[in-house]
Amino acid sequence: MLDFFTIFSKGGLVLWCFQGVSDSCTGPVNALIRSVLLQERGGNNSFTHEALTLKYKLDNQFELVFVVGFQKILTLTYVDKLIDDVHRLFRDKYRTEIQQQSALSLLNGTFDFQNDFLRLLREAEESSKIRAPTTMKKFEDSEKAKKPVRSMIETRGEKPKEKAKNSKKKGAKKESSDGSLATSKAVPAEKSGLPVGPEHGVELSKEELIRRKREEFIQKHGRGLEKSSKSTKSDAPKEKGKKAPRVWALGGCANKEVLDYSTPTTNGAPEVAPPEDINLIRGTGPGGQLQDLDCSSSDDEVTTQNATKPSATKGTLGGMFGMLKGLVGSKSLSREDMESVLDKMRDHLIAKNVAADIAVQLCESVANKLEGKVMGTFSTVTSTVKQALQESLVQILQPQRRVDMLRDIMDAQRHQRPYVVTFCGVNGVGKSTNLAKISFWLLENGFSVLIAACDTFRAGAVEQLRTHTRRLSALHPPENHGGRTMVQLFEKGYGKDAAGIAMEAIAFARNQGFDVVLVDTAGRMQDNAPLMTALAKLITVNTPDLVLFVGEALVGNEAVDQLVKFNRALADHSMAQTPRLIDGIVLTKFDTIDDKVGAAISMTYITSKPIVFVGTGQTYCDLRSLNAKAVVAALMKA
Amino acid sequence: MASADSRRMANGGSVGGAFQPHLDSLRQELQQRDPTLLSAVVALLAVLLTLVFWKFIRSRRSSQRAVLLVGLCDSGKTLLFVRLLTGLYRDTQTSITDSSAVYRVNNTRATSLTLIDLPGHESLRLQFLERFKASARAVVFVVDSAAFQREVKDVAEFLYQVLIDSMSLKNTPSFLIACNKQDITMAKSAKLIQQQLEKELNTLRVTRSAAPSTLDSSSTAPAQLGKKGKEFEFSQLPLKVEFLECSAKGGRGDAGSADIQDLEKWLAKIA
Repeated sequence: MLDFFTIFSKGGLVLWCFQGVSDSCTGPVNALIRSVLLQERGGNNSFTHEALTLKYKLDNQFELVFVVGFQKILTLTYVDKLIDDVHRLFRDKYRTEIQQQSALSLLNGTFDFQNDFLRLLREAEESSKIRAPTTMKKFEDSEKAKKPVRSMIETRGEKPKEKAKNSKKKGAKKESSDGSLATSKAVPAEKSGLPVGPEHGVELSKEELIRRKREEFIQKHGRGLEKSSKSTKSDAPKEKGKKAPRVWALGGCANKEVLDYSTPTTNGAPEVAPPEDINLIRGTGPGGQLQDLDCSSSDDEVTTQNATKPSATKGTLGGMFGMLKGLVGSKSLSREDMESVLDKMRDHLIAKNVAADIAVQLCESVANKLEGKVMGTFSTVTSTVKQALQESLVQILQPQRRVDMLRDIMDAQRHQRPYVVTFCGVNGVGKSTNLAKISFWLLENGFSVLIAACDTFRAGAVEQLRTHTRRLSALHPPENHGGRTMVQLFEKGYGKDAAGIAMEAIAFARNQGFDVVLVDTAGRMQDNAPLMTALAKLITVNTPDLVLFVGEALVGNEAVDQLVKFNRALADHSMAQTPRLIDGIVLTKFDTIDDKVGAAISMTYITSKPIVFVGTGQTYCDLRSLNAKAVVAALMKA
Repeated sequence: MASADSRRMANGGSVGGAFQPHLDSLRQELQQRDPTLLSAVVALLAVLLTLVFWKFIRSRRSSQRAVLLVGLCDSGKTLLFVRLLTGLYRDTQTSITDSSAVYRVNNTRATSLTLIDLPGHESLRLQFLERFKASARAVVFVVDSAAFQREVKDVAEFLYQVLIDSMSLKNTPSFLIACNKQDITMAKSAKLIQQQLEKELNTLRVTRSAAPSTLDSSSTAPAQLGKKGKEFEFSQLPLKVEFLECSAKGGRGDAGSADIQDLEKWLAKIA
């Protein structure tokens, strides 16, 4: 039933492979490694690739990976257990070979695991086979047969009681409080005149039933109940009278006067509060001034510090011994050890503006990667976890594809077609500003730029771009570049179709020989379906070379939602086999965040596309490229 | 007391004269102390010195003995690693971590090198390069000759990175560009690959230096590859860069041996 089962080392050597089908297993396993393990999505242990489902398990102590693949349509229940069993058996059988540091032992060892694996597979399959349907109990075996016949003889009056008792057992908890309701229900039933015999009989004996039940209850729960149940009964006839405060049957003997905290009011008019109360309500300080923001924030810090200090002192003694124990000797990490550290790390990441679910997933993945790992002699759990987290963060920020716009523009120049870049994003993130910065950078490097004003909605969008064009033209006049206009604006006013303007702009650029076309689109919320359709249409029709998503660094959990919805919209409305998705991210307003740089992580994690530019201000020179190490250092800094 | 006097005297006198009273006072103090304590102190000092010395020697010996196998994903580094060590063929997957082993060079001196196979995946390769570049005696850059035409830009970018990193090291390692997968019919020759890479690196050094500066602009200006005015050639680099062809899979696939004699000879040369 399994397609394949592979055991390979993290260094890339396949130690043993079982192939149920003739297809090679390298393709799907490579896809698994690339999309899951290397992108830190190792939280859950299954992955689908085309028609296969792959389940995997990491052995971090010996640096091995166990992967099993089977058809997606099958639901095999024994797979997890099988992987665990195989892992244990393999580890015990070949402990000497896999323990070595050098790869030579792995290369020289023969891993003849076939028979053991087949045995385990057979056992697993058998254990999961459908059990034979259980035969029904015979009457003699049931409990009813054991009861004497006498207890089951019923007179006519009692027989419905038996039935009522059985039906009441289901709602036994609501018995005493329902008693009053039941009696009141009895009245309309009689009134409607339904000549239902047994029901009538049930209602009649209900009083007796209630009494009996109450006796049992009192025996179990003591005296206090009697009064309340009696009061319930006494209240029932008075229901149509004045509204009495609700008394709960199990509520004890609380006096209702004690519970009434309202001060007597005259006609419901509010009391006049004493003068000092008003000030407190208004929130001003004693001098009538608004309190400074700094004061309140420092108070918070002090209180939180005080709160954490006692817990810290309590934990230090035990923690110290644990730390010493952990320092010397090698012990393997378990989930419980890492739990507290990972929680702290997760909170730290969230405090640094990483989206909440991404922080959770990251910590899960790090836990998966470290579980069972043997620590070195002088490393603590905290340092190991921090190190692993740092490595995975750097890994996420490394670009998966080449980030070199100038090189691609040179390529497009050679083919005599313009290089088209589209900017998309929600409202107010800085698309037009960063478009101007990027065109300045391109002009400095000697490329001619055509700016296409496809934002036909926002008031002043075209004028803004016209101002930028004028200024850039002044910085790079045609005289300096041999009479060639280096920057030009292509606009068709307001209210027109953006996709049409973009197409005309690209045709114009091709005719006039512009090197780059920068297309500015209107900002749109990710939930706005018609606008997302319009954007998707623009991108599908014009097939730009680069689709850049502009996101601000201030965004928090929203980043996840924005990117997911933008990508989905682009994928849904595309006719092509492989739809054009977001190719890169421009992270703007980076100067407004000091070291809360988590948005970079959120965005790259969601899309696994690189951050191409970072905007750090509103002048033309404020354009940077991302430095992964600096960002991660800022993120991990306490 | 005595030391205080000697110090005062030392302040007044010259440097040479300052030592003598100090030594006298030291000797006086030592003679006063218990001989067992003195011997314990001396023994401890000796042990510490030995430890420091031994660590120094060990680091000296292990440094500069590593040969790094780098390259893009799927270029054949792990298989090459296996072939060099055992001569057999093994199935491989994408590497997630590095693998290292000691390799005995077959030359007259029978020296040993540490072969380190680094992962080629984009998210990992720079991290691992950073970790191991300090101990590198030689770097073997493995190129997939069959897919080269498609991947020229990626190969050139990674090669640029590796060259820049190697040039910034104290002892520049020897460089070899191994054009792997020569058993495939469409594989390009080493000469062609060299020409293409030179052309690509020529453009790349212009675009890379024109890229916007990184966030912390405290980083130094990017190093220049080759000479400014002229077309880039590998001979312009301060490193020794060689090209050769090899095939890790070998002509006859799994059963036969690999075609890596040139590679072994080169390793023997640089060891």
